[in-house]
Amino acid sequence: MKDRIIHPRPNPIIAAMYTLRDMDVDVVVVHGPAGCSFMASRMLEEAGIRVVTSGMRDNDLIFGGAESLIETLKLVKEKFDPKTVAVVGTCASMIIGEDMAAEIQQANIGCNVFPVDSHGCMGDNTRGAIRALEAGRDAGILTPEETDRQISLMKAATGIEKKVGMAAQGYLSPTKGPTKLNVCRQIMDALAADKKVAVVMIAKKELAYRFADIFLAVDEARNKLGGKTFFVANMDGEKGLPRIRRYCSDIQRDLDSRNVKIDRIIGGLDEYAIIGEDVKKAVDDFEPDLTVIVGICHSYPELSPDNILITDQPRQLANYLRQGLTAVGEISSHSIVMGAKNIISLETSDILRELLEER
Amino acid sequence: MRRIAIYGKGGIGKSTTSANVSAVLAEKGLKVMQIGCDPKADSTRMLTRGEEIATVLNVMRKDDDIELEDIVHVGENGVLCVECGGPRPGMGCAGRGIIAAFEKLEELDAMKVYSPDVIVYDVLGDVVCGGFAMPIRNGYAKDVFIVTSGEMMALYAANNIAEAVSNFSSSGYARLGGLIQNSRNVEDEDSIIDRAAKEIGTDVVCRIPRDPAVQRCEQMSMTVISGEPDSPQAGAYRLLANSLLERSEDVKGGMRLGKSPAVRGGCCDE
Repeated sequence: MKDRIIHPRPNPIIAAMYTLRDMDVDVVVVHGPAGCSFMASRMLEEAGIRVVTSGMRDNDLIFGGAESLIETLKLVKEKFDPKTVAVVGTCASMIIGEDMAAEIQQANIGCNVFPVDSHGCMGDNTRGAIRALEAGRDAGILTPEETDRQISLMKAATGIEKKVGMAAQGYLSPTKGPTKLNVCRQIMDALAADKKVAVVMIAKKELAYRFADIFLAVDEARNKLGGKTFFVANMDGEKGLPRIRRYCSDIQRDLDSRNVKIDRIIGGLDEYAIIGEDVKKAVDDFEPDLTVIVGICHSYPELSPDNILITDQPRQLANYLRQGLTAVGEISSHSIVMGAKNIISLETSDILRELLEER
Repeated sequence: MRRIAIYGKGGIGKSTTSANVSAVLAEKGLKVMQIGCDPKADSTRMLTRGEEIATVLNVMRKDDDIELEDIVHVGENGVLCVECGGPRPGMGCAGRGIIAAFEKLEELDAMKVYSPDVIVYDVLGDVVCGGFAMPIRNGYAKDVFIVTSGEMMALYAANNIAEAVSNFSSSGYARLGGLIQNSRNVEDEDSIIDRAAKEIGTDVVCRIPRDPAVQRCEQMSMTVISGEPDSPQAGAYRLLANSLLERSEDVKGGMRLGKSPAVRGGCCDE
């Protein structure tokens, strides 16, 4: 009983959908009830892919959902004329054993349509992502090498969540945490005293659009107050699926236009779970007086209360705070970054900017 | 109202037994409703002279707004015949179908409208999932009888069903009323079944002999009660029907005995 984790957490269906978005699939068809995964669907639509539902009803449960899926696929063809379509399984369709591959074949809409055999009861959400990757590989839109790479990253991400993340705790209630005022003052005080401040971004994919703003603000602070900074980010644009590479070039372009330089780039935006050690080594070489970590902070080994952590997850924030760490939350960041093409302001950065104007 | 469920291994003669029992009870002047709980929808065939009646699920599938007359058909001796129906083999979820069909009958207040004296549920094979356990849970059936022969697989199924009944009996509804022996002329059949009954913790309600009259009547799509009413086999069914009446409880109320708040669930429940 003691290992049972009861707070709601990400599910494999949605993990599959996000992964399909990263694979630049044009349309995702959720084969299930109309409301299944609808919050995530709406967010994904913001990111420019189409998400539709087969809208299963009781009759589909009883007689099978073939008709609903086939009609939905035909509508998808008619409305969006897509190149690639993924059909994602849900609890409802998978419990009754829907043969999505056969139904796709029957619908025969003349483009690359492939099924992802996912449902909500698979356990770790990353298992849904892995199913999506394997399905993409089998449909010829991912190379076997990239698939293997992605799968090992997913497993690493699950490992880290179980070890030190949200999946390690029995129940976490969400928290808003303290305001950002104190951490901003800490950063400013360090710079004003000519100290060394390291800023580390270990971002998970699209969240980089928001977390990267910390570099802009801290750079501004250093220009005004003095001190030394060292910026590390997982923004290797040569790594990962085309979509996340685009994120890197978007963000790099914005940084360049403001003359802000990332001192060390370590890993791609999908490598947040495996780069902690390397990042720490680089930071240790700089011998900072203060280290600010944004994103998947717990990926960074040996966090100390002297570090400043900035996360987007209210439950992750609760997890950090209960360990006595210094952390603030950039809550709702995920919905803000969906569909972003430019760096989006971070609350912590905005407060830092305001304080700078006061000085 | 008596709420009787007939379970047993596939092909063991549940529908024949149910239809003949229903015919006897109707002959005695009782109002009987027989509900077939099998996607094959052939439970009441002998009560409708072979006519295939519209199933609850097929009617529901075509139209949201249905009426009792669409799904309750009057058969032999006024027996009210209902077939739940279900998906084609290999598709969808038949268990969910049983749940949906029962819910529809309740929603349409079938028991109030027809006020039957006896409901006979004729349920597919083994208890395969939550849906097929519906008659013995959630207060639908009160007394469960299991049809079996002396063959090993039939007894194996009987044992599984008895186990399911005892698992659910804690919620206060169905209880095992006994075994109905549908003889297959297995050597030493009576004592084999007696022994099995003892192991399960029940007894044999009645022994139905193997008689070609059943086949003859089935070929005419009739029950033995209407096809060969004076035959010894008809007499056996009359005895059985009387025993089932004696052994089942007459409880007032709707289709369900009380409402059970949290006993739902199972592989395909909502």
